[in-house]
Amino acid sequence: MPKITIDNRIVEVEDGDTLLQSCLDEDLEIPHFCYHPAMSAPANCRQCLVEVGMPRVDRETRERVLDEDGNPVIDFMPKLQTSCSMKVADGMVVRSHRTSELVKRAQKDNLEFLLINHPLDCPICDQAGHCPLQNQTYKYGPEGSRFEFRKVMKPKNIELGPRVVLDGERCINCTRCTRFTQEISGSHQLTIIERGVRNYPMTPPGVVFDEPYSMNVIDICPVGALTSKDHRFKARIWEMSQTPSISTTNAKGSNCVYHVKDNLVMNVTARTNMDVNEFWLADEDRLDYRKFNENRPEGPAIGGQAADWDAAYAEAARLLQSTSGQRVFFLGSALSTTEDNYLLARLAEHLGADAPAYIPHIEAGHGDNWLRTDDRAPNTQGCERLGFSALDAEVLKSRLAGGDIDVLYVMEDDPVGEGLCELADLEGVKVIVHHHHTTNETLPAAAVAIPAAMAVETVGTFVNCDGHAQRLRPAKAIKGVNRTLAMEVGKSRADLHGTPFDRWYTESNMVDCEPGWVSIPAIAERVGLSLSYKGPRAIMAELSEDNPAFTGATYDAMGESGVRLDVTHQPDTHTQTA
Amino acid sequence: MASKAGDWRNYKRVLLPPVKDLHRLDVYEDHGGYDALRQALTTDKWDPASVTDEVKKSGLRGRGGAGFPTGLKWTFMPPVNPDVPRFICCNADESEPGTFKDRQVMEYNPHLVFEGMVLAGYAMTIKTAYLYVRGEYADWITHMERELEKAYAKGYVGENIMGSDFSMDIVIHKGAGAYICGEESSLMNSLEGRRAYPRIKPPFPAQKGIWNYPTTINNVETFAHVPLILSKGADWFSSIGAPSSPGPVLYGISGHVNRPGVYEYPSGMLISDLIDEVAGGMRGGKKLKAVVPGGSSVPVLRADMIDGVTMDPEGLRDAGSMLGTAGMLILDQDTDMVSFLRRITHFYHHESCGQCTPCREGTGWLENIVTRIDEGEGNVKDLDLLIDLCSQMEGRTVCALADAAAWPVRHTITRFREEFEAKCRPSLVATHVESAAV
Repeated sequence: MPKITIDNRIVEVEDGDTLLQSCLDEDLEIPHFCYHPAMSAPANCRQCLVEVGMPRVDRETRERVLDEDGNPVIDFMPKLQTSCSMKVADGMVVRSHRTSELVKRAQKDNLEFLLINHPLDCPICDQAGHCPLQNQTYKYGPEGSRFEFRKVMKPKNIELGPRVVLDGERCINCTRCTRFTQEISGSHQLTIIERGVRNYPMTPPGVVFDEPYSMNVIDICPVGALTSKDHRFKARIWEMSQTPSISTTNAKGSNCVYHVKDNLVMNVTARTNMDVNEFWLADEDRLDYRKFNENRPEGPAIGGQAADWDAAYAEAARLLQSTSGQRVFFLGSALSTTEDNYLLARLAEHLGADAPAYIPHIEAGHGDNWLRTDDRAPNTQGCERLGFSALDAEVLKSRLAGGDIDVLYVMEDDPVGEGLCELADLEGVKVIVHHHHTTNETLPAAAVAIPAAMAVETVGTFVNCDGHAQRLRPAKAIKGVNRTLAMEVGKSRADLHGTPFDRWYTESNMVDCEPGWVSIPAIAERVGLSLSYKGPRAIMAELSEDNPAFTGATYDAMGESGVRLDVTHQPDTHTQTA
Repeated sequence: MASKAGDWRNYKRVLLPPVKDLHRLDVYEDHGGYDALRQALTTDKWDPASVTDEVKKSGLRGRGGAGFPTGLKWTFMPPVNPDVPRFICCNADESEPGTFKDRQVMEYNPHLVFEGMVLAGYAMTIKTAYLYVRGEYADWITHMERELEKAYAKGYVGENIMGSDFSMDIVIHKGAGAYICGEESSLMNSLEGRRAYPRIKPPFPAQKGIWNYPTTINNVETFAHVPLILSKGADWFSSIGAPSSPGPVLYGISGHVNRPGVYEYPSGMLISDLIDEVAGGMRGGKKLKAVVPGGSSVPVLRADMIDGVTMDPEGLRDAGSMLGTAGMLILDQDTDMVSFLRRITHFYHHESCGQCTPCREGTGWLENIVTRIDEGEGNVKDLDLLIDLCSQMEGRTVCALADAAAWPVRHTITRFREEFEAKCRPSLVATHVESAAV
């Protein structure tokens, strides 16, 4: 591996890397805008300039020339070089702004240029607070401006597509967005138009920027030129607590960050995980967050009447014991965590019922071999690895019709809404439902309805379509007081306790629900089964010990980027990416 | 310093000889046209390598502005690999203000360019050549297309040229009217149908050019010299004009002279000879104020700086300017240098492609300030700001447009500062500082 000297520090770098990436890998910040590790480096922002020198080599002997002290003689290049386009070479000597006044000056000069036509409307800009231009200007920029002219006017508030809005004046022409559509998504829906200082990105004539990954350009835009039509002007970045977690709209389990304010999910952005989604996130993952905020239930119900939690648990236990285990049908869920499904399986086993089945959520043709899959449930793999089988609609119907089922136990799913049976089929059957939403169509038939925490409110594990086990972290609080959840909220947030602008502790917007790993043990206890674990962490620890399909999937090992599970236990199902 | 052009008054023109209708193929043939090509392709006299050697020996330097030795550039092409396409490209995107010589060659002697391109293609074993002409030259594009068709019909271009086993096509490509396309890497992007943003160098065109294949790009006038070098010999060529940059040069003279135009003379002409004799002296008997010797981007010379200065790279370097394209702007005593600079800064502002920050933002800022001074609203400190901005732009961009925009500003201000100060608003504070005794 080549050795290079950066600011008098000798570091080993990867051959073929760019100088900028090598510096970033060493935690040596070099300001930059246009460079993105996943895309080509056009070196157009000119912010990452550094001084670069190479050891002088004797033309005859091909050996390095040494000075009197025996140190190699370094010839510096006459011009400053853009570190993003410069490949590292052994012996290279680099001076950044830390050691070179020249570089410091150049970076300052460049920021002065970038800002002269920038509207500086940070007070009303959605990017303010997480804006590379703003941050780097504070760090490396000039103190004032010498520009005394009218700024260039460009189109503003242009809808490039249904989800992305352009402010041309804020654009600094880094071309990250156009390169994304050319090199990453391949849609070619964006290009730069006009010339010189009037440049800005635009769709070609007759084209709408509507590709299913369009919102990634909002993440990679280093200024507020591209903003989310959905999220813009809704909340400032510093008003939202940010929790790293995973998305739930499909089986890919793309890593994301949930932005939460006052216990409402406000926005979802991409989180880098090179094993799963790299830097990107599909638009559907970003926009499917209202389900966490809207139509949420308020407390449990018995026979449609509000009840307290104890009564609901007791009634559920009574129903489960009112018949033989063989006449209780358990439905697990590809929408709930592996831990909750495991507890359900333990409960079913205790009662002598068959192992739970799960409802497949397949939408044929939806997958695209990238971050979207035909499977619209996040944890089908987890269910399969627990030995659950996909529920056949005909089987359920015939068993219901044949009167084989006295009690139907539905965990966090909706068999009626999914079309597996009709409400009429459930007449005479005692239905226990853990539900996410008041719109759950099985609810009218429910003898006992138990509100369940959703993926952004619980702790748990999803296994994605490639067998990658990843942790969910609670992004918003629920009404139920739970020490495990409270601690996990504190540990998960990027800034530990969340921002002071996020009043997560007030009861407004908190949903009166419980995670499965609280409600299932509560019912199990009442039927004589002790499922007392110290939270989901302990459940997963047990599962990773006992079940070879989950070997290695402890919380510590999964961390923020997850664990790839043993592929030999990968069930061959239609949950694979299309 | 004396003229390096020798007996230039008796110089016989070769690029633009005084022959009526030379653009017509039959006339061109009657005057020795395509003889050099015939000799190269149908006799043993020239093999490809010796063509390159002869061009190298002649000392021909590129006429597009940078003055790079042409023969040397040709040797940068990698060894021939039949599986890898390679190209030559003739840069006829002549857009530098004050430069209009290539247009003359295309109009009056187009076949000389074609012959030069085919010879260059033969020297570098190339099957496809592009001729990239700026869009504004619409008339000359149709003209060249018509003549190229005739050359094809006569077998001077195309399959098995003159019965030899060498084949080469010439494709005329019309630009859309952007100065930046004259920059060779932009030109290649434009030719490929991309946005004409200059590319980062290295890699150079000889390594990764058009469609990332080895490419050599030369100027129209450069290619036009090649048949002459082969038919008259490298020694003939190198004996003309200044030894360091020999050969005939097309001087494009414009501005306040009596006979502006394109003049073919040996390199190394005295600027004063070109103005006083070739161009017929200053218009209206006025006094000379300034000369921009090589297109608008090169540093301007004051009238008192041109004594004995010759039009070759070394002569102009010593005088504090550059040869560039040898497109000379001659300015008389009545010229308002602030207004002159305002027009130049407007041009570079308009033509900056907008890829790199310093050029995109800097060119507009320069124009803003110079305009303000020109309108009498400027302050003296603006002049220092202008020089500062030039330093912030020079050498910090992908291509040289930022330098081309900054040099005229820097040098026009430093060389005519009193004119700029006179146009600025009077300072409210006395700026005259006595040098204090230490």
